[in-house]
Amino acid sequence: MDDLLREFLTETAESLAVLDVELVRFERESSDATILGNIFRLMHTIKGTCGFLGLPRLGAVAHAGENVLGKFRDGELSVTPNAVTLILKAIDQIRVLLAEMESTGAEPAGSDEELISEINALATGAMPPAKAESPAFNDEGFPVAAELLAEVAEALKNEPAPAPQRIPAPEPKQPVAQKEATDPKEPALASSSIRVNVDTIENLMTLISELVLTRNQLLQLQRAQKGSEFKVPLQRLSHITSDLQDGVTRMRMQPIGNAWAKLPRIVRDLAVETGKKIDLLMQGAETELDRQVLEMIKDPLTHMVRNSADHGIEDGRTRASAGKPETGTITLDAYHESGHIFIRIADDGRGLDVDRIRKKAISNGLISETEIAGMSEQQVLQFIFRPGFSTAEKVTSVSGRGVGMDVVRTNIERIGGTIELNSVAGHGTTFLIKIPLTLAIVSALIVEVSGQRFAIPQLNVIELVGMSDSAGARIETINTSPVLRLRDRLLPLVSLRTLLGLEASAKAQDRFVIVAQVGATTFGIIVDRVFDTEEIVVKPLAPVLRGTRFYAGNTILGDGSVIMILDPTGVSVGAGQSDHEAQKNDAVNTLDGDQSSFLLFRAGSSELKAVPLELVARIESLKVASIEHVGGRRVVQYREKLMPLVPFDAMQEWKASGQQPVLVFSDRDRSMGLAVDEIVDIVRDRMAVELSGERAGLLGSAVIGGKAVDVVDIGYFLTQAFTDWFDGEEGKGTNRRALVVDDSPFYRNLIAPLLSAANWQVTTAADGAEALKLRDSGHQFDIIISDIEMPNLDGLALAGEIRGDARWQKTPLIALSSHAEEDDVDAGRAAGFDEYLPKSDQARLPDNLVRAIRAVTARNAEPLRRAS
Amino acid sequence: MTNQIEIPFGADIEKSLDLAALPKLCLVVDDSKTIRRFTMQILESLNFIVAEAENGRDAVETCREVSPDLVLLDWNMPEMDGITCLRALRAMTLNPRPVIVMCTTENGMPKIREALECGADEYIMKPFDRDVLFDKLVQLELAERP
Repeated sequence: MDDLLREFLTETAESLAVLDVELVRFERESSDATILGNIFRLMHTIKGTCGFLGLPRLGAVAHAGENVLGKFRDGELSVTPNAVTLILKAIDQIRVLLAEMESTGAEPAGSDEELISEINALATGAMPPAKAESPAFNDEGFPVAAELLAEVAEALKNEPAPAPQRIPAPEPKQPVAQKEATDPKEPALASSSIRVNVDTIENLMTLISELVLTRNQLLQLQRAQKGSEFKVPLQRLSHITSDLQDGVTRMRMQPIGNAWAKLPRIVRDLAVETGKKIDLLMQGAETELDRQVLEMIKDPLTHMVRNSADHGIEDGRTRASAGKPETGTITLDAYHESGHIFIRIADDGRGLDVDRIRKKAISNGLISETEIAGMSEQQVLQFIFRPGFSTAEKVTSVSGRGVGMDVVRTNIERIGGTIELNSVAGHGTTFLIKIPLTLAIVSALIVEVSGQRFAIPQLNVIELVGMSDSAGARIETINTSPVLRLRDRLLPLVSLRTLLGLEASAKAQDRFVIVAQVGATTFGIIVDRVFDTEEIVVKPLAPVLRGTRFYAGNTILGDGSVIMILDPTGVSVGAGQSDHEAQKNDAVNTLDGDQSSFLLFRAGSSELKAVPLELVARIESLKVASIEHVGGRRVVQYREKLMPLVPFDAMQEWKASGQQPVLVFSDRDRSMGLAVDEIVDIVRDRMAVELSGERAGLLGSAVIGGKAVDVVDIGYFLTQAFTDWFDGEEGKGTNRRALVVDDSPFYRNLIAPLLSAANWQVTTAADGAEALKLRDSGHQFDIIISDIEMPNLDGLALAGEIRGDARWQKTPLIALSSHAEEDDVDAGRAAGFDEYLPKSDQARLPDNLVRAIRAVTARNAEPLRRAS
Repeated sequence: MTNQIEIPFGADIEKSLDLAALPKLCLVVDDSKTIRRFTMQILESLNFIVAEAENGRDAVETCREVSPDLVLLDWNMPEMDGITCLRALRAMTLNPRPVIVMCTTENGMPKIREALECGADEYIMKPFDRDVLFDKLVQLELAERP
């Protein structure tokens, strides 16, 4: 592109930004000749420059605008909102043309005849005088123009006019001496500032972090030498480096007012469109923050101010009848406090409608009626931050365009900020945003996993939990996910080692859990070691790594090593826990000891049914509309797979609409859903099942939580969903015999139905002694599954007895124990067990058991066949 | 500093300098950077040395420092407009006395008369191109046809 044209684009974009602000000011203070003079001159200059560059189309629009402004100036035309809207339209059109020119390098073909004749009609007074002179904003005033305007404004938002920063700096050739001498006077806005390309500053920042690194290395060397003469100069170097770092960080700062520049215009347009009167107060516009942060909050701020103007502020009549001033006020306030920037967006409008939010949350299926009833107003308000939530009854042309408060929150959290909301019905809504001053240097916790170090932004770290045995903190497993019981909460955990696929470290180490928070989600990150907190310089990820979600960047530590900075948001996804699930797990947790948790539900009939909670992978509430019919069966898309849904009772009526409660049972790669009528409760109790085979699908009955319940045989439903769930290659109907030895009735009752569903005849024994009695009475089994820890005769002793006696010597033995450390497994195998399964992995237990059985029977089949 | 050479400075050096052949210094005053660049390109191609100012006040400052031979002065500018600047320049003792050309889109006679009365030597209508400006400079004997 021609240099001259590029210059023109930059210059005009700046002029237009000023014009926007000045025009809105002028509308209020239309008697202020200085403002008008300034506006006129800017438009005049644009027009004049167009003449030089041969840009007739742009020149014509500017000329029409200048013409009207001239009439304002000469008092020939009165200043009305409609007239100002038209001028703004002209400005927008100029912007559109500029954007086109920026991409193509030439003035686009076409004509703006319509707009120009509209403006000329205004200038010549052809406009109906009633409208032109209408002093107040009202609903009649120019709906078409306003709509167009809104659309243009929106288009511009998406495709910004040439921003000054994006234009490469002009080539630094200075052919003439005099020219060079006058150059410092050039900057258009303030003579005390110069414009520097952002890249230059970024490069400087990179160089400074290199310098910091080198300084640190020098300091380390110097420390090793006693009484070095380098000590003093090194200290000075150290100070200078720090100052330099501060200085460059400050260079990246921009006043927040830059992000606010478009807001007066937006509010003004909205006021005209909706017929409201709105004042926009901006305080602390000079508050500076990192330009990167500034970019990130620009859109969220705009969105919130729009929301306030569109939904928050009432129309004049409503306000008047509520005893409030007719003109609503939106206040923007920015200030520094303790290393953070606070931005307050407040309006004195109607406040958020808690009831509407409540209804919407329920109708959107975000929460159930009973759950929300127990929530405070403050909690209910938080729903506006949930994805897909919008309370606007009618979508107006300016706001309500799909971006919701959830996007706002995401954007703010991405830069390590938080957003709080406060709303008082009838008095207004206040948002308080807290964001870090800069993203370039953050405080981070350095941790180690498998010998590799990582940085976790301190902002996300809530606390550290040491996992040494004495601390009593234990990692448990719920479903397939590790959790930490921390005080009264269950904290979902993610092992950094597993997540990043690192090698297990050779030596056993004390482990730590970093309790981290991302938004409303709290989770734990398991690491090997925790070092110190350090101020680190964030360097952007190399492009090749940008696809990974676990890293936010990298940094260089004082010792020169390069380490990765973890992105807690990405890692939390790895934890696989949304906050909602975490809450559920709070209620769902299991405990050791004989007691177990049961899920009580109703299905098919009014009797309570129970299922051991361990077996339930998830409790879901599916939209009935999402249930599909495939080949006479009901399925639903669940976690990117089709999940069969089985009714508890064949006669059970499917819900026609609304939500269908479903219990999800999973093994490694398959899930099935058991459709029930109602989830009643989760209780903890000792399980004492009276087995009865009365009905398919029921194990028997038990008294749980003081109520008689039917205990459900999940194995039955699993085979209904997947007929091959338990099938081995052996096929069915062989009537093999299994002995289950366990002192816990719960486990006996858990395993027995699993095996019987796979066509085993199951006998149970409460301990080793009881098992040996069965041997003495002449029973033979095809497989023995035994617990290790049992009274009277434990599993290891039992195995010894079995292997030491010819009667059961060849019978495959599988150990099932809650202790499955390597030592335990070794001891088990030494005692004579063929397989050793952990109890802790309950969700996979059925699957593991089936595989273990297959493995041991196959192994034993070999020698048997040879023998026969 | 290696590219610096010593030139013997004789007494006859004055004679060898043809002052008239030295390039002229022109100050371009306009609030549009684009217009300044445009005008500077033309002037430089005509062997002028060009300084610039973005408003009347800057122009007055620059003239105090460098005393240009020619000032192209825009009318409508922030800080200090062209007519005020013109009055200020004419009130100053400048050596040489600069030729001042008002560049304007104001085509009403009263304005032009006002400018001439205030000491403008010539006026030129905006927009102008290379030929128009060149003609004007020839007319003012600041440029010669080849």
